[in-house]
Amino acid sequence: MSECPVTVFPPRIQWESDGTSRIPFQAYTDEAIYRKELDRFFYRNHWCYVGLEAEVPNAGDFKRTVVGERSVIMVRDKDGSIHVVENVCAHRGMAFCRERHGNRESFTCPYHQWNYTLSGDLQGVPFRRGVKQDGKVHGGMPADFKPDDHGLTKLKVATRGGVVFASFDHEVESLEDFLGPVILGYFDRLFNGRKLKILGYNRQRIPGNWKLMQENIKDPYHPGLLHTWFVTFGLWRADNKSQLLMDERHRHAAMVSTRGAAGKADQVTQVSSFKDSMQLHDARFLDIVQEPWWDGPTAVMTTIFPSVIFQQQVNSVSTRHIQPDGHGAFDFVWTHFGFEDDTEEMTQRRLRQANLFGPAGFVSADDGEVIEWSQEGFETKPFHRTVAELGGREVGDTDHMVTETLIRGMYEYWRKAMEA
Amino acid sequence: MTINWVDAAAHDEVPQEDVIGLAVAGRDIALYSVEGEVFATDNICSHGHARLCDGFLEGHEIECPLHQGKFDVRTGKPNCAPVTEAIRSYPVKVEGGRIWLAIE
Repeated sequence: MSECPVTVFPPRIQWESDGTSRIPFQAYTDEAIYRKELDRFFYRNHWCYVGLEAEVPNAGDFKRTVVGERSVIMVRDKDGSIHVVENVCAHRGMAFCRERHGNRESFTCPYHQWNYTLSGDLQGVPFRRGVKQDGKVHGGMPADFKPDDHGLTKLKVATRGGVVFASFDHEVESLEDFLGPVILGYFDRLFNGRKLKILGYNRQRIPGNWKLMQENIKDPYHPGLLHTWFVTFGLWRADNKSQLLMDERHRHAAMVSTRGAAGKADQVTQVSSFKDSMQLHDARFLDIVQEPWWDGPTAVMTTIFPSVIFQQQVNSVSTRHIQPDGHGAFDFVWTHFGFEDDTEEMTQRRLRQANLFGPAGFVSADDGEVIEWSQEGFETKPFHRTVAELGGREVGDTDHMVTETLIRGMYEYWRKAMEA
Repeated sequence: MTINWVDAAAHDEVPQEDVIGLAVAGRDIALYSVEGEVFATDNICSHGHARLCDGFLEGHEIECPLHQGKFDVRTGKPNCAPVTEAIRSYPVKVEGGRIWLAIE
């Protein structure tokens, strides 16, 4: 194939058709498009993941995180409720909270010690009434200064099953409507009311556009091809019984699969069975125990647009928070958890299986690499486009994995929102 | 038990309806004069570590200059957020033109 366009750097994004099977590289490289995404997906109309209630069990406990690029604090108040406030002081704009986690009676900005309640109300301003000197009072805030006008920005908060979402948009639809009934069903399967137990975190920076992580978990084409670990040790086969399901707007998705009886890759697969002689040094990485709440599927990977992935891969469960930082990078924060009623043995099993995931995971290390290399290609050749045509050019739920329909679905939603 | 009274200041050193800070027996003390009566508390706010003598006295209430928390100068009790913890108050007597505090 040869091509020599007039410009490699088109001024605006061009789609080849009304469909979404060919995605312009510019969707991943253009800073103006990226800012529009922040406005339209992260700061309006959407719920973004902020954390788990189990991360802030006690009054005053807080966790610093982000919604889009904006720094926010999730905090448990004295009455047990959870607030999410923006980490930007009303006075001089400082991101005053620096700790990732902690416990506070109230928040104080170090610059001028403006002091806020846990719900973000301004309660004290140094020298508001001035400073006394030689019988006189100097300075102070104007008499009409009202603390009520200078609180922290408060986000709308929704909690369900121990998971906390927030939105800068107080007009946003309910979390349940946002997820839609199908995705909500899989959400409730994982977060079914049992108290969660935090097992640990992984954090990594991936030098690629944030959407590539959503696409990675909407792409059942690659696991059996890129992740040879999966295939070699029998955790994934292209012929696993499976379903790909979306909400009605096609922005969220669930990849639902059930390990076949074939199990290990000791038989012919459509993919590959190489390295069959490889053995795990510690077989306990795959000491899989069926749990009652699974109700069938051995793996359900749920993508909630735009900010989070909920993972069940056999006994390993985690949330993966996508934190965009410019068009060409995102931080990816994994929270590995279990349930308070887990036995110690089950906790250890979940922790061992977590070795498959995270920045150096046996499986997930691959994803960080390919996302970086995709971005490299996009940056140098922004006039070009990807081809996401496995399984056709249409969008719809399927009962197999041999399709890129979920990616096409996400871009169908993306185009509607971005071109409106 | 005998009370150990410590000489803190001359009575006329404390301006009417106002507050001063001074060191008494190695402590940072605030002295208040309200309607002719003298009260004494610790001078450091239990919230933001500011000196209450830099704050504003209104009736029996001292407002911290830093975050506008308020204490009752008679008892040291917190009256208004963000302060939640009392400060110590001290018995006072005025004798011979001097203010005496029961420190211990």
